[in-house]
Amino acid sequence: MKLYNLLTALIIVLAYTSCDSDDQSETEAVGTLQLKFDHFVGTQKMELSEPGSIEFQYETADGEAFNISKFGYYVSEIILEGPTGEYYEDEQLVSALEVKGFYHVLQDEPSSRFITLSDVPAGRYNRVTFKIGVSESAVQEGAAGGVLDPAEGAWFWNWNAGYIGFAIEGTAQNSGQELVEGDGWTIPEKSFALHIGGWKDIEVAEGENQKFVNNVKTIALQFDSDLRVESALDPNVHIVVDLLKMLDGANINFANSYSIHAPKAGQPLAEVLPEVFIVDHTHQ
Amino acid sequence: MNAMHATRLPIWWVCCLLLLMVACEEADEEAKSNNYKFVKPRHFPAPTYNFDKNPITKEGFELGKKLFFDPLLSKDNSVSCNSCHIQSTAFADAQQHPLSIGVDNRVGLRNAPPLTNLAFMPEFFWDGGVTHLDFVPINAIESPFEMDEKLASVVEKLNANDEYRQLFQMAFSVDEITSPLMLKALSQFMLLMVSANTPYDDYILGDVEALSKEEVEGLSLFRQKCGDCHSGELFTDFTYRNNGLNTDFKDQGRALITESENDVGKFRVPGLRNIARTAPYMHNAMFTSLEQVLDHYDNSIQHSPTLDPTLEKGISLTENEKSKIITFLNTLTDHDFRSDRRFMNQQ
Ligand code: HEC
Ligand code: HEC
Repeated sequence: MKLYNLLTALIIVLAYTSCDSDDQSETEAVGTLQLKFDHFVGTQKMELSEPGSIEFQYETADGEAFNISKFGYYVSEIILEGPTGEYYEDEQLVSALEVKGFYHVLQDEPSSRFITLSDVPAGRYNRVTFKIGVSESAVQEGAAGGVLDPAEGAWFWNWNAGYIGFAIEGTAQNSGQELVEGDGWTIPEKSFALHIGGWKDIEVAEGENQKFVNNVKTIALQFDSDLRVESALDPNVHIVVDLLKMLDGANINFANSYSIHAPKAGQPLAEVLPEVFIVDHTHQ
Repeated sequence: MNAMHATRLPIWWVCCLLLLMVACEEADEEAKSNNYKFVKPRHFPAPTYNFDKNPITKEGFELGKKLFFDPLLSKDNSVSCNSCHIQSTAFADAQQHPLSIGVDNRVGLRNAPPLTNLAFMPEFFWDGGVTHLDFVPINAIESPFEMDEKLASVVEKLNANDEYRQLFQMAFSVDEITSPLMLKALSQFMLLMVSANTPYDDYILGDVEALSKEEVEGLSLFRQKCGDCHSGELFTDFTYRNNGLNTDFKDQGRALITESENDVGKFRVPGLRNIARTAPYMHNAMFTSLEQVLDHYDNSIQHSPTLDPTLEKGISLTENEKSKIITFLNTLTDHDFRSDRRFMNQQ
């Protein structure tokens, strides 16, 4: 008897959904929108140096000279919104075979600095939000492929499992780092490595202190004017990432802060992330 | 539904019904012969592992097993997972290696725990630094004290091996081997390491004869004296505590993960299944026998700022009580698990 009911229900659902898809045959109008990330150090465009190089082209507000040899971050959970309720959420998928909605933006891989969102419903948009880092829901999916595969260059902490959301490496005049030589690797003298990770957001029992820091930050940016998305258009948003805002905002002093590899030490840098990303301009 | 309704069923409905029934019967048959299925023991908590994301198959499990026994995963092809996790000790380390030995005979920092009931654990390692089983092997492969290899090189070596390419194709329908698939296969192998078949389990599940009078007394003493921390059917509450092994901790334990001074010297309360077979004991392998462990709780608790408050005065135990508790702990040995052919390397 139950089976009969079940089958009836199934047939009804099937019939219903197939009718539904008939209605949708005149597909909804969609278009693309591109986010472009440009990396700056203050007013200078970011250029990478060789690791260990002691030519310093940048300076912090405190006058500390430095250069950059590696720079990048993860962008995820992108959402677009418009003035009259337009809404688009970039699909998130984390699995061994496929990862969607996570972007590893790297200074030394120019193509990674362009994120094209497709199938965005046609309409007007004036706001983008995204996360810098990889949040709990993705970490807890377990081993993942694509840009989250550590064998393919994903930034992953083995000992405190999770992804490094943002990383800056280079050399600084005042860095306290001494030369370290390992088996097949070296840490150059005066180098620095600031790795920001940490995703645990655990509710604390009463009377206990929060033990973990969640350094995955949400960035919300308003556009300078509404952008129209339509199939025939090619709108894009230029986002400037100013590393100096980060170093100065967190008062980084390379003599002490040259080696950050754990969540708590990275927290001051993560806190200023929302000021580091700015919409420079948009193109219709 | 009454007979009247049934007669009104169109013929194709009946066909559908028949098909379904046949399918159900086949599934039953399969369950009987399929020992690649994860079965939660009745008295265990819900598993923490999400099997939907990595359903266990015969091919995946067998591939995971091959990887587990293969020294190809290490830098100089000398060390496999099985070098430190041996079935006869419930996949803990061999007794002659208090601290595990890796590539170039480098001595590790911690005692290798047994690998049982991993599907039920919320966090891994003595400090809880890894929160998903899939990620555990990355540590073993890349640690200079263990296999000292790079994940990317392992993937390269696997892709260069025709047999592995074929096995990954069979398990995951892929032409190219990637690290997440290797990790999923290892998880499939380890997830089936469920140990729940001991005299204690028979007793808990209703066979009152399964434990002797002395063992039952040992059980109730254990619950009373040790049950605060070693609680539940896995004999751990999965908290991190300092049980007074030292006054000062070279290995900071949980504090490495929380970066909090309040956690220095705290380690995960370990489960105690198969404990009679997993000596030496504690994260630093400082005790070689259960007698030493009980003497420790009774009279040599070391005081330090993070010592668990319940252990301030130690746990006073008479010699008779100690021996009863040990008698009980011996009932946690799962002989079927230790001789389960599924986990053996049959090559
Ligand atoms: C050199 C010895 C060694 C090798 C080789 C080794 N392990 Fe381990 N394993 C350990 C030690 C030691 C620990 C505990 C580490 C800690 O707590 O920091 C451990 C912990 C684990 C754990 C977590 C158990 C728990 O209770 O939290 C799992 C799972 C595991 N190993 C699986 C593997 C797999 C899979 C491999 C092969 C890829 C492997 N191990 C190779 C020594 C080893
Ligand atoms: C306050 C919590 C607490 C209590 C009470 C407690 N334990 Fe433990 N136990 C722990 C912790 C934590 C560890 C791991 C410590 C380490 O390795 O640093 C441990 C480790 C052990 C181990 C070693 C397990 C292994 O795999 O190495 C045994 C055996 C053990 N306890 C038995 C007992 C017995 C028997 C009692 C009761 C007499 C007891 N414990 C009471 C917290 C506790």
